[in-house]
Amino acid sequence: MTTYVLSVLTFGSIYALLALGLNLMWGMTGMVNLGILGYYAIGGYVSALLTVKLGLPVFAGMLVGTLAAALLGAATCVGLVKLRDDYLAIATLGFAQVMALIAQNEIWLTNGTDGIGQVPRLGDELQGQSFGILYLLICLLIVALVFVGTEVLRRSPFGRVLRAVRDDSMVAATAGKYVFGYQMKALAVGGGIMGLAGASYVHYIGFISPEVFQPQLLIYIFLALILGGRGNNLGAVAGAFFVVIIVEGTRFIAEIVPSLSAVQIGAIRQLIIGIGFIVVLQNWPRGLIPEPLRRYRPPADPAAGQGSERAG
Amino acid sequence: MELLTEIMQLVVNGLMAGAILAVPAIAFSLIFAVLQISNFSVAAHIAIGAYTTYVVNALFGLPEAAAVVCAFLVSGSVGVVSDHLALKPLRTYGPLTVAIASMALNLVLENLIRFGFGNAVQALDLPVYRNWVFAGVHVAPQQFFNFLIAAGAMVALFCLLTFTSIGKQMRAVADNPTLADIKGISPEQISRLAVFIGMGLAGVGGVLIALEAAIEPNMGFRVILPVFAAAVLGGLGNIPGAVAGALIIGVAEELSLLALPVAYRSAVGFIAIIVALLFFPRGILGKR
Amino acid sequence: MHGESGNVLSKQAIAPAETILQVSDVHRRFGGVAAVAGADFAVRRGSITGLLGPNGAGKTTLFNIVAGSIPPSSGSILLEGRDVTGRRPDELAHLGLTRTFQLARGLSDLTVLENFALYAKAHPGETLWRVFLDAGSVKQREEAVLEGAWELVRQLNLAHVANNRTTDLSGGQKKLVELGRALLGHPKLLLLDEPMAGVNPALAVEIGNYLLSIRDRGVTILVIEHNMSFIRQICDHVIVLAAGKVIAEGSFEEVRANETVQAAYFGSSL
Repeated sequence: MTTYVLSVLTFGSIYALLALGLNLMWGMTGMVNLGILGYYAIGGYVSALLTVKLGLPVFAGMLVGTLAAALLGAATCVGLVKLRDDYLAIATLGFAQVMALIAQNEIWLTNGTDGIGQVPRLGDELQGQSFGILYLLICLLIVALVFVGTEVLRRSPFGRVLRAVRDDSMVAATAGKYVFGYQMKALAVGGGIMGLAGASYVHYIGFISPEVFQPQLLIYIFLALILGGRGNNLGAVAGAFFVVIIVEGTRFIAEIVPSLSAVQIGAIRQLIIGIGFIVVLQNWPRGLIPEPLRRYRPPADPAAGQGSERAG
Repeated sequence: MELLTEIMQLVVNGLMAGAILAVPAIAFSLIFAVLQISNFSVAAHIAIGAYTTYVVNALFGLPEAAAVVCAFLVSGSVGVVSDHLALKPLRTYGPLTVAIASMALNLVLENLIRFGFGNAVQALDLPVYRNWVFAGVHVAPQQFFNFLIAAGAMVALFCLLTFTSIGKQMRAVADNPTLADIKGISPEQISRLAVFIGMGLAGVGGVLIALEAAIEPNMGFRVILPVFAAAVLGGLGNIPGAVAGALIIGVAEELSLLALPVAYRSAVGFIAIIVALLFFPRGILGKR
Repeated sequence: MHGESGNVLSKQAIAPAETILQVSDVHRRFGGVAAVAGADFAVRRGSITGLLGPNGAGKTTLFNIVAGSIPPSSGSILLEGRDVTGRRPDELAHLGLTRTFQLARGLSDLTVLENFALYAKAHPGETLWRVFLDAGSVKQREEAVLEGAWELVRQLNLAHVANNRTTDLSGGQKKLVELGRALLGHPKLLLLDEPMAGVNPALAVEIGNYLLSIRDRGVTILVIEHNMSFIRQICDHVIVLAAGKVIAEGSFEEVRANETVQAAYFGSSL
């Protein structure tokens, strides 16, 4: 049971990273990117290949995987970001599908649908639960660092420009901001965070295959961010853990209604996620922890310019 | 000479496949035209149409034509009900929120099917005919019937939009929702009808796909990329554009076999979108 | 007159000090329709110039072209003698050209103060690496920027709503925010798109006086407006556009007397 809880929390951390990356792209900058699993996968694959085929240490693999995903993020920007809203959503969905095709078919590199096994796990020399505990701590540390980093960004003038781009890119341009540059940075940093999530995943499971492109995961991450509160990093993290708990919690339906087949139970779990998604959107469109409104005190006050935040 | 025949064969196959893609692509574009919303649950409605056919044809033994009509009615009705319950309350939050919610709706519908029918791959009970051969080009009669059904659905929609008053009203709402409101057309009713027809057509598309390939709960997701690509290529909301886009993608996918491994066939749609959008940011017959 | 080459050499020869904006033979077609068809005019430095014309005359399209939002099909635009045809809006902002929008666009989720702070130029905190590695100078600059934003908020009588989302403001307050943030970029040339639309008479007087005061501080203004009494009161010079071309220009009284102009407005008296 402890092992199970550890694994649920570790997956929660990985989802939290994905949600933080998505928050940077969509929540803060307004780019609906349905291709997020592409960055996740490239982070995982690059790190797996470097550690398995070239024997690089795990940390180096994760670093290069993160950078590769960041580069891919910047590249997406060059090709796609001029497209508006619906066009962007469809094109990014297609981008991830093409990545999935490559993962399935370039067998010389990715080993196709068999996937890459024997990926070195971080702290593998530890036995049983110690491994689970250590890895969870590493993941939580990564989430904490990324959270602090993205939160610093959100509160900075850089984050203010991102929100201006989200609200109306033409206005941001009129204010003298090079919109394309900001979009590219948001996609690169967000993509890098997702790549780090993929690398964390692969060195936990020790295996990667085109299964990482399962469309449910895309829905889970969007649900996490919508549930937590778009634009809010704390919401992204909380939402991710919440989604993992729902996803895992619904496993126990099997014990309550034993007459159902495994496929039916799987279907019910997906139904709960899908319906929950729509119910949350209908009732809490800004999420359970909405993006806080930044309030500044007037400079006459001794604490001039100090920002304070309050949910608005 | 052999290469020429091969190319001819690929073009014919591509046009046949494109005509099938065109039906759900029109569905997607019609809904976008009237509601300004990208409804990703078209994918699940494709599967709903296919499973309706499976029930009507394989289980009850009714003929194909009846199956097509049933698929249209069932998936159209599911479309209206699910739109009313899930998506309509979200319209005030903007089209992108609705588009994202429609992905969740797609997940819900797909898993309702999975709950009822399981994951097993189903097939229709169809007679097998010998191929027709014209000048070395093979055409399977089934393929040709499918082409006719697709063409029939498109002609019916075209007539509806061009000659009936309800169709003209629908185009008026698509052109200018506020103006239509002033003129006494109820955009709400028109939207509902557009969703019914659109999702009904997606269901018919599902039948056509079921006649060619296997039926499974996530079958819609497998074809959705070329379907979206066709709609985007033609310019979202542009119905003739969606048809043109689907035919182009159908032919491009087949011709890609000359240069690319067959596994990458479905990537052609995506590449087609990117190339086209670089030159025509609002589609080849773009509107919005 | 308009050399694409040699604008360094000829800064003074091409553009006499008093011309800040020179629009030459600008065309813009959408599909087969010509929205702007050979517009030619100049804006004098330090003036308030009104751009008039019946609906569909191409005013907003011309505005968008000058502001860099859309490129012209042909023709050239010189800002202070420098060829800026086809430049992006953010590049133009750095060259001293700022615009406002007709419906107070993009005032959604940012607060009034944030809107003002956004218009700070060369803010180190807007550079990604500096946020993390140069926190000291970012903080210092941010304090100065916020101080400036507060000052403007007070000038515009918006202090009580400074921390509100701009979507929650009244129509008149939105107009003030729109105007205020445009000025924060310290523009040399300010393009105003219908600043009086939907503004009550009392506020209209206030805005008019405000525009005159910023003109006196050396900002040149080019304004689209339908409110004729406003145009008469504050514009030094009026340009009339019809069917994508300039059909008349001069003082308001001269233009009003012009028969071509009256015909363009189909007899609706100015």
